[in-house]
Amino acid sequence: MQINPQEYNEASNYESLIGSYPGRPQYILAIMQDLQKQYNYVPRLAITMISRHVGVPVSKIYAMASFYKAFSLTPKGRFVFRVCDGTACHIKGSETLLDQLHKHLGIRAGQTTEDGQFSIETVNCLGACALAPVVVVNGKVYGKVKPGDLEEIIKECGGQCHVSENEGK
Amino acid sequence: MSAKMKGNNYDQQTILVCCGTGCTANGGRKVYEAFTEKIKDHPEWEVQPILKSTGCNGWCEKGPLVRIMPRDITYCSVTPKDVDEIVEKTLVEGSLVKRLLYRDPVTKEHLSSHHQTDFYRKQHKVALRNIGEIDPGRIEDYIEREGYQALALALRNMSGQEVIDTVKAAGLRGRGGGGFPTGIKWQSCKNAPGEPKYIICNGDEGDPGAFMDRSIMEGDPHTVIEGMILGAYAVGASQGYIYVRDEYDLAVQYLGRAIEDARSHGYLGSNILGSGFSFDIEIVRGGGAFVCGEETALIASIEGRTGEPKDKYIFPSEKGLWGQPTVINNVETWANVPVIILHGAEAFASLGTAGSKGTKVFSLVGKVVNTGLVEVPMGTTLREIIYEIGGGVLKKRKFKAVQTGGPSGGCIPEELLDLPIDFDSLTQAGSMMGSGGLIVMDDHTCMVEVARYYVNFLAGESCGKCTPCREGIRALLDILTRICKGQGQLEDVKMLEEISITMQEAALCALGRTAANPVLSTLRYFRDEYLAHIEQHKCPAGVCRELTTFYIDAEVCTGCGLCKKQCSVDAIQGEKKEAHVIDESRCIRCGECFRQCAFNAIKIR
Amino acid sequence: MKVKINGQELEAREGETILELCLRNDIHIPHFCYHPAFGGQGACRMCLVELKEPGRKDSRLVASCTYPIHSFVEVITESERIQRLRRNIVMLLARRASQNPWMKELVEQYGAPSMPAVETEPANCILCGLCIHACEKMGKTAIWSMFRGIEKRIATPYDEAADECIGCASCAQICPTQAIKMEEDATTRIIWNRSFELVACKRCGKNFATREQIAYMRESSGYEFDELCDHCRKVTLAQNMRQYNQ
Repeated sequence: MQINPQEYNEASNYESLIGSYPGRPQYILAIMQDLQKQYNYVPRLAITMISRHVGVPVSKIYAMASFYKAFSLTPKGRFVFRVCDGTACHIKGSETLLDQLHKHLGIRAGQTTEDGQFSIETVNCLGACALAPVVVVNGKVYGKVKPGDLEEIIKECGGQCHVSENEGK
Repeated sequence: MSAKMKGNNYDQQTILVCCGTGCTANGGRKVYEAFTEKIKDHPEWEVQPILKSTGCNGWCEKGPLVRIMPRDITYCSVTPKDVDEIVEKTLVEGSLVKRLLYRDPVTKEHLSSHHQTDFYRKQHKVALRNIGEIDPGRIEDYIEREGYQALALALRNMSGQEVIDTVKAAGLRGRGGGGFPTGIKWQSCKNAPGEPKYIICNGDEGDPGAFMDRSIMEGDPHTVIEGMILGAYAVGASQGYIYVRDEYDLAVQYLGRAIEDARSHGYLGSNILGSGFSFDIEIVRGGGAFVCGEETALIASIEGRTGEPKDKYIFPSEKGLWGQPTVINNVETWANVPVIILHGAEAFASLGTAGSKGTKVFSLVGKVVNTGLVEVPMGTTLREIIYEIGGGVLKKRKFKAVQTGGPSGGCIPEELLDLPIDFDSLTQAGSMMGSGGLIVMDDHTCMVEVARYYVNFLAGESCGKCTPCREGIRALLDILTRICKGQGQLEDVKMLEEISITMQEAALCALGRTAANPVLSTLRYFRDEYLAHIEQHKCPAGVCRELTTFYIDAEVCTGCGLCKKQCSVDAIQGEKKEAHVIDESRCIRCGECFRQCAFNAIKIR
Repeated sequence: MKVKINGQELEAREGETILELCLRNDIHIPHFCYHPAFGGQGACRMCLVELKEPGRKDSRLVASCTYPIHSFVEVITESERIQRLRRNIVMLLARRASQNPWMKELVEQYGAPSMPAVETEPANCILCGLCIHACEKMGKTAIWSMFRGIEKRIATPYDEAADECIGCASCAQICPTQAIKMEEDATTRIIWNRSFELVACKRCGKNFATREQIAYMRESSGYEFDELCDHCRKVTLAQNMRQYNQ
């Protein structure tokens, strides 16, 4: 995976974001959280810059980006479907929702559609268990979601469903 | 409408709108905004009502909740459209909007206050004492309710050692899962040589189904802060960190605001309340790792490393963050501290059992009527919580088990429902208290699949460093997946037990040592279900798809068509009022129809 | 201070681990992730022993490679429980390196039951972590353990040639299952997706290091030493010293 050429354009922005933190390892998490929030992933160029700034080898910075689920090493989709797989949601059918999303978007949890529009993630309990099963799309919480609701939610995001409701398994 | 407000108009009326995560997801914020707009329309009112948004009341099932004080009226499932009526009828006229009141399912009576409901009556709020009553964004609200009085008392009248002695006498044990005696932890830190010393609040609440820490951090952040300052004073620490799970945006926000306010009021910073004692707090956001709830992993995370735990032969209270003496306690533990210091150890210890003093917050979720947060004295039985407070199993289905302690815990079957909940009783039953998650499961839950679900969760959350945990979980998952698919063998059960024992004995940290609990406890109480999967290739609960075929009993089916509407693959055909039929070749065995049918007409072959 | 190992009283140094004490006294405890250069990691869990502390009623299992001795304790290094544990750990690790001769010997030695093999990246890696610590000590930490849970594996960032790698092959040398692939011919060494130029010893002509390795050693020692292999370096030094005796 070569460095995305776009990253070179952003280099000075990465520099100032990273530079706004003291150059100590305890700030690695916070720096990556800011980068993730702003760019939807942790850019490769930024990882090298963080390494220089805090004095920790690149391999260990990469290890942190790969260890913590808050970070993505590749850009996420414009709309991220976070399907809660907490226990309450699980026993109320979150797996069926994931299957249904796969039918509509052709991707599974951890993947992004080719056009970069949609990503699916399973997340650990969001703490809204009374509304199980819960799906959050870009911060908007949908509660008591039925498999049939998903098509509508995808359309709300301006998306196309792969397979219409009427086709079989 | 008159220029004055009638009813209790010379009493200041307060409207409390619950904006905890659950109610917000259900539209609580919009209700709050509707009230704001409505009140703006009436500048002529002599006594303007106070409007507050509060944290989670705990009764998430009935949200969004709106409460009117001082009359203590509770309205349930409020929508923005109801706001006009509430203001006109209740605030101005003084009468009740009956349809928004809670209706007791047994007596059919409308109850005007949530305090009268079984859900609340049997609770005893200590850690949750302020949530739902205050605006968590206002330090004044906290101060009005005895806020920071414990701190003032301690700094004025007590030494650090005396604070520790009080916490010891209270018998407070860690509320995060370990149940370690808090006073002893603090003493060990105080005795350890070295400066600086650190205080950490573990807000990494990772158990799926648990949200008590989130509610406290969002709904009453100052109780955590005051607790930490008291702890710091006790052990001689100068810097504190609140490690908040990355997913908890709102908690980070409210804690941040609370810290700023505490600083400006002189409760944090140098020379607190003129005592000469200095302490400050920083927030650290987690990176999305369940394992970081483990103390040494949490410390590694703050230090800027991956969250890999290490052997705890030397405790963090001696050598913790950056090698310094460190006290780490859970959010709920901290929330109890101000109450203990202000009201004394005896009062706290008057509740609970011999080995587990005080109260515990439980998140009661799953197939139960009243889902939400419940705080009860230790020693309350599971039956009381699930049936008396929780209102029993949803849709009156048969109770099967309650999962306690999250992925590190186990399932408790019906015959043990009269177990008084405390740290030791649950451990003896093969489970544990954990952080307090109680997940109610009915007869439509497959216990083998539940074990597989938890092991699968841990497969991604284990740090992966040590062999028994990483490879043990991998092996358990492989075996359980095969069993759920109908490819299990009898030897698999022996292998599950053998590997589980090795994990319990040899894993490096508590995550690995308890990872096998869901497997062991389901094998202990639901062995027959495992055998049904292995020997008969059947899933009695109708969950495991390869082992389940659904059909509709034509004699029972009323032709209501609900299942046909639900079916996401259009596998059900039938005319209205005529028996419906499932096309087995299209059916994906999701079980939605099976679970929804009000007549139990859908069965398993 | 005194401690008891298998009933035998031994003199321990303050703070040393049980494993170090035992190794010093020729008491064998199996271990896969300990190395004298960087101590124990507590990762493989093969070195677990029974520990009885005074004042505690029951003994408990502790990792001898990380447990520091600060006062009198009693340790048992062999028992039925320990044997069963070791057998199961070997059983679980053998899935990852089922064809490796060293692993096969362990399987036989401990009587480990067979389980279906698991594919790993690199193949045969048992995640003992020796390689990454060797790299940290001898090189520039070009590799580390990435990801977590059952997907954890040793890799360079992005699985690509790492700038930091100096091609020293300390990792390949220390790996107990030879999981790290390295190719070498008369002029070149290829390891971790990178090609390195091998440098010949000025005295005997044998390839002894990569160019990057020499550069790194010079930089970190601050000393512009000659390009000589280990043996020739010692011979040259001895010869130089002989001059001074004359």
